[in-house]
Amino acid sequence: MLWPAMTQLNFQWELLAPEFILVGWAGALVLLDLFWGSSAGLRTGRIGKEPLGYLAAAGAVAAALVSLFWIGDHKNFADLIDVNNYTTLFRVFFGLTAAFACIASARYVKDRLLHPGEYYALILLSVVGANGMAAASELLTAYISLELLSFSLYVLASYDKFDLRSNEGGLKYMLLGAFSSAIFLYGISLVYGVTGSTHFNAIGEVLKGDTSDIDMALLLGLALMIGGLGFKVAAVPFHMWTPDAYEGAPLPITALISALSKSAGFALFLKLFTQAFLPLIDDWRYFIAALSVATMALGNLVAIQQQNLKRLLAYSSIGQVGYLLMGIAALSPESASALVLHMIGYVVTNLAVFVCIIIYYNWTGKEEIKDYAGTAERAPFLALCLSIALFSLAGMPLFAGFATKFILFQSAAQEDLLWLAGVAVFFSFVSLYYYLLIVKEMYLGEPAERTRFPTPWLEYGALSLLVAGVMFVGLYPQPVYDAVEDSTATIFAAVEDSAAVSERP
Amino acid sequence: MTSDLFGDYIAVLIAAILGFVLVGGALIANLILSPRQPTRTKGVTYECGMLTIGRTRTQLHFRYYLFAILFLIFDIEAVFLFPWAVTFLEIGKQAFWEMIAFIAILGFGLAYAWKKGVLRWR
Repeated sequence: MLWPAMTQLNFQWELLAPEFILVGWAGALVLLDLFWGSSAGLRTGRIGKEPLGYLAAAGAVAAALVSLFWIGDHKNFADLIDVNNYTTLFRVFFGLTAAFACIASARYVKDRLLHPGEYYALILLSVVGANGMAAASELLTAYISLELLSFSLYVLASYDKFDLRSNEGGLKYMLLGAFSSAIFLYGISLVYGVTGSTHFNAIGEVLKGDTSDIDMALLLGLALMIGGLGFKVAAVPFHMWTPDAYEGAPLPITALISALSKSAGFALFLKLFTQAFLPLIDDWRYFIAALSVATMALGNLVAIQQQNLKRLLAYSSIGQVGYLLMGIAALSPESASALVLHMIGYVVTNLAVFVCIIIYYNWTGKEEIKDYAGTAERAPFLALCLSIALFSLAGMPLFAGFATKFILFQSAAQEDLLWLAGVAVFFSFVSLYYYLLIVKEMYLGEPAERTRFPTPWLEYGALSLLVAGVMFVGLYPQPVYDAVEDSTATIFAAVEDSAAVSERP
Repeated sequence: MTSDLFGDYIAVLIAAILGFVLVGGALIANLILSPRQPTRTKGVTYECGMLTIGRTRTQLHFRYYLFAILFLIFDIEAVFLFPWAVTFLEIGKQAFWEMIAFIAILGFGLAYAWKKGVLRWR
């Protein structure tokens, strides 16, 4: 009975080619490591731990390149997964993010972690989850993708299994993550209960009509969903797991959590609120604006006190989430583009910061801020790159942080949220203080030894690319902004399309 | 439609309160009213009238847990194979290939565990 109806759906499996590549690649990496890896017990012909990382990066890049095939398309897989410019942008973005994380991992994993095959496979699987979150046009698909991303990251966060901090961070991350998933799921069930659909566009249709008789349940569902997503992106009342997970996780995984998990969360947040909940914007605008202010305030103020660089970056990333939430509170086509642009700038910058920290950690095994004293003397290039990235995070002109923040704040001001933009500017100034503390330590501190560090060419190459990206977005954001505008236009167009269909009869 | 949505929950609320009151009341009444004369013999672990041997807390080997997880592979496989077999003819070729893919994924897990030496009982 069910089957004939289902065959009318569009099962174009080739639309999911990037995800198939990622999954197949992940499986191949596990098998490679299992049969020919460093722990397989072979005398000859073994594959070391390091090349696996480069192989994984190649897989992530391959998936990103294949997804370019659908630029400008408006396809849909089985009414569940959209393949349009929005999806394509995020597929490329997530693929490249994971590739950088893999390259940065290669030496770290070789020196400090066991089971490299599974490690890289999990990174690739987390990209599949992230892709799904950006692509889903329906709540349950989004939820499953969210879980795939989170589960991969729970395991990865506790990957350094002989380090108690890693275990603690991973466990906290998992328990709070499971809790937030339950909250999100409850929100989904309430919204489904009152609107009768899990498809974003269909929900939007229902909400456009008279909703006075379903107010209570709807608002409860909406609040629960904001709470669940807030956990995933670490907005303030729901941020408790972040510092511990960031500090405990192996460094490249901290980078991955802060880049991939956060941006995937916002990809879903933006798409969901544009396509499904835009008609109710007056109900949730101030709720999200309040979250945004709390997040900015707490993240930036607590970051001042931190001694450990990873914890500092955890709180700074919470602060950045505050800015990003501003784009949701002021939801319009312009602010959506500004939000995605700021996210891209933030992720590129943050990856640059983390690559610097990983290189330094590979040399010294230290991650306190005071350990960075005199780095400028021992590794001038590293100190320069880290300073550029930190200045960009603080939002100094010339660098990505300034251009993207400027556009974001402006778009918020246009939507009558000038006060919010003012608060954000204030906290940007606050953030400058703790970023400068690190720069000060590096350039003015006295190094414990004076020997130069060896030069890791490959990592420096990746780092140069990222810093070039930071400068490019900072000086000439137009091409990136155009690409982002193209992609966010598709999710707003989807809203109008469904409106046109409903008005026709 | 929605005023009912929450109106119906009144019954649940009443049942919940009633449940808590009844259970709590019984426990508290028991605490207050019951006579207590503890002796050593009464505190001994009771097992079919025999004296217990050793301590109650024993350690189980971790291996049992891994075997239980591996058993899950076959369990899940069976759960999905039966409905698949019933509707196989109606659906046709697609069902065949989907089940092949499903079994391949499960087989991957089993092969992984096998190679890692989980099946060896030492």
